[in-house]
Amino acid sequence: MPAGRFRSGRFRKVFVKTPGGRTTIHYRERKPQRAKCASCKKVLAGVPRERPAIFANLPKTAKRPERPYGGVLCSACMRTRLQQQTRGSA
Amino acid sequence: MSIFEVGRLCVKIAGRDAGNRCVIIEKMDDHFVVVDGATRRRKVNINHLEPLQDLITIKANASHEEVGKQFEKLGLAVWNTKPKPAVTRPTRHKVIKNATPEPKPTKKAVKNVVSTEAPLTT
Repeated sequence: MPAGRFRSGRFRKVFVKTPGGRTTIHYRERKPQRAKCASCKKVLAGVPRERPAIFANLPKTAKRPERPYGGVLCSACMRTRLQQQTRGSA
Repeated sequence: MSIFEVGRLCVKIAGRDAGNRCVIIEKMDDHFVVVDGATRRRKVNINHLEPLQDLITIKANASHEEVGKQFEKLGLAVWNTKPKPAVTRPTRHKVIKNATPEPKPTKKAVKNVVSTEAPLTT
């Protein structure tokens, strides 16, 4: 039976072959899923998949693209949104 | 007769400076224009611009200062890069291995000094 702390959906089993010929199980943490666009649900580019502890220590520019709504909307959705804002206000 | 002509105010839709106002100062061909204003002076695809109804009276290839003046009249922000003052880098005190340590200032043994002055008596 795995140790109590590994009995969670957060961990995945990796079967590792040892030099002695045995196959052991290594428990590795799962990475979170990729970030999705808030409107079209496409996978967002420029947002890394890291657990919160690592993500928090990344510099701000390494976590999202350097444009408005970066990390929230994909580039296409951002463009249509800005277009509609401009046309609506003009 | 395209809407993208010299003097047309536009909003940038794509890029780092998306959402910023800019004015067309030169038309290069059917697809590209040169733009200045609240964005840096650069060549831009017209697909990445959303034109506004305003037309500014400005000459083709106007300098950045002239564009800035026109923008300030309208109350719009202008892109400006200020040169940063030169700052001296903080120096690190290098630790040299196997160096003889500096001789510490030795304290001289202080004997009980008997003052020759007469003690203060009130």
